[in-house]
Amino acid sequence: MGFNGIAGVVNAPGQIPWPIIAGYFIIALLIAGYVAKRKGGLSSFTTLDWVYMGVGGAFAVVWDFYLGSFIGRAIPSTPFFDISFVGRFLITMITVGVVRKFGAGMITTFIFNLLADLFHYGFGGEPVYFVYEALTYGLFFDMMIAATGGNLFAIEKPVGSKTTTYAVMLVEGAIIGYVYGAIPYSIFWLGFFAPFVYGGVVNWARIYFLLWAYGVSNIPVGAIGAWITYRIAKAVGV
Amino acid sequence: MSLESVIIDNVISWLLLLWGITLPIYLLLWAIGLTGFRQVTRFERYDTFYYKMNPVTKIVLGLVVTVIAAATIWWIGAILTAVLLLSYLTLKDGRRKFMLGLYITIMTVVGVTWTYAPYTPITYLETAGFHQFTVIWVWPSYFSVMGYLPDLTLQAVIYGIQISMRFTATILAALILIMTTTPSGILRALRKVGIPEEIIFALVVAMRTVPRIFDAMEVTVNSQFLRGLGSRSNKAFRPFYLIYAAIIATVPIFVYLLKGAKNTAISADTRAFRAYKYRTYLYPMTFSTIDYVTFGIMALGLVLMVVAILLGFGRPIPYTGF
Repeated sequence: MGFNGIAGVVNAPGQIPWPIIAGYFIIALLIAGYVAKRKGGLSSFTTLDWVYMGVGGAFAVVWDFYLGSFIGRAIPSTPFFDISFVGRFLITMITVGVVRKFGAGMITTFIFNLLADLFHYGFGGEPVYFVYEALTYGLFFDMMIAATGGNLFAIEKPVGSKTTTYAVMLVEGAIIGYVYGAIPYSIFWLGFFAPFVYGGVVNWARIYFLLWAYGVSNIPVGAIGAWITYRIAKAVGV
Repeated sequence: MSLESVIIDNVISWLLLLWGITLPIYLLLWAIGLTGFRQVTRFERYDTFYYKMNPVTKIVLGLVVTVIAAATIWWIGAILTAVLLLSYLTLKDGRRKFMLGLYITIMTVVGVTWTYAPYTPITYLETAGFHQFTVIWVWPSYFSVMGYLPDLTLQAVIYGIQISMRFTATILAALILIMTTTPSGILRALRKVGIPEEIIFALVVAMRTVPRIFDAMEVTVNSQFLRGLGSRSNKAFRPFYLIYAAIIATVPIFVYLLKGAKNTAISADTRAFRAYKYRTYLYPMTFSTIDYVTFGIMALGLVLMVVAILLGFGRPIPYTGF
């Protein structure tokens, strides 16, 4: 019967073994906790940061569940390009870009999930989605913030000549585009959480296909998104 | 097979892949419009039973509906959907809300069905009780690279519709919470379950921002039409201009909201936000007779769910392909 709509299946045909997934999330949680503690935890965020993350979460929900669906009728959703997903990705990227503190990715994703539950899902399947999305989509952004020392997309300060700065910005955007766009959904969701929540089988042909198909759109979208984030951060004056 | 039929098959397959669910959903989205989305994401004061219910009760109602719809056979989810949809008639501007709820339900059914149907193997359909299959479309063989099965069967479509009944009731219950509860009511309820103050604050901002985004979008899109966007083209192309207007409005609206964030932050800081670890609330959360009756109905629903499962009306089929 499961719990809160979660079937709890861990032996579906083709499913990634649960110890691997559990190991990833334990390690991710330890890393997130350790780095967050070193950076000052929740108190490192100013009130303005919280407002930015609230606005970003709201925009992501409006895009993902309403406008994205609307616009997606004219620009059909395919494995190569999904306007709903791309919009949500860009909105999260911009929000994280204006905050640029470790934890911004996970918190923005958590707020998005909380809102999505309130507006759409009714908390069905939780806490799976909180854990899965915050520690994959959100953490990937935070790891990029940590890797760049808070100078995500060179927004804080240039990293050399103008050309070098733009090149770094685009490469960072492309990396986060692929990692955010391809891995959580293909590997974690389709490979483990979809059968874990709903039961069924894992279609590995689809997963292999999506791992490269998502790269087709999300690498350029990530690079362009980094540039958009840079411009918006400068326009907002952060 | 002739070259002509191969080309036609491929063209139709790609049109189905790209636009398969587009037409029905497009018409429904057009019927809902930006005003409709704003109406279902905003609290409006009224005095029927949903409005008097404690927010905690409504959150629990959403959870119970999710559990029942997930654990039982599809038609129980369909009954729950129908009951919740009918209860929309008790909301403020009930008939309009009912129609909006109906549109959203149909969109969900179409969307979920199309998400599952092309990926569901025959073996799973047999588990679901289907034994004779009617092929309604044969995909080109290379579609298997995308995980598509060779044939789309009528039974796979029916299976998709059955699965959608798991989602429709949940979505309708979630919208009831949003439409009938003030943001502060929801946040006080979340505070009770231990969510940190900062995240609750961000959530307050977000909940206030959602309808503002629709407002700003509507104003911006209408302004562009007033300035002549698409005025010389055929009316049939107007939806595409609407989409174009919405896309180009997105970044300016986001910048506008982010710039406004500074005022909100200053306002919160001058009201001593985070000066103390915990906030106090002027109005305590209380439970009334309506809440106790609702909890009773929910308990009865859970008991009936267990009975239904024991009688063989549990969810008999695994979901796949999502």
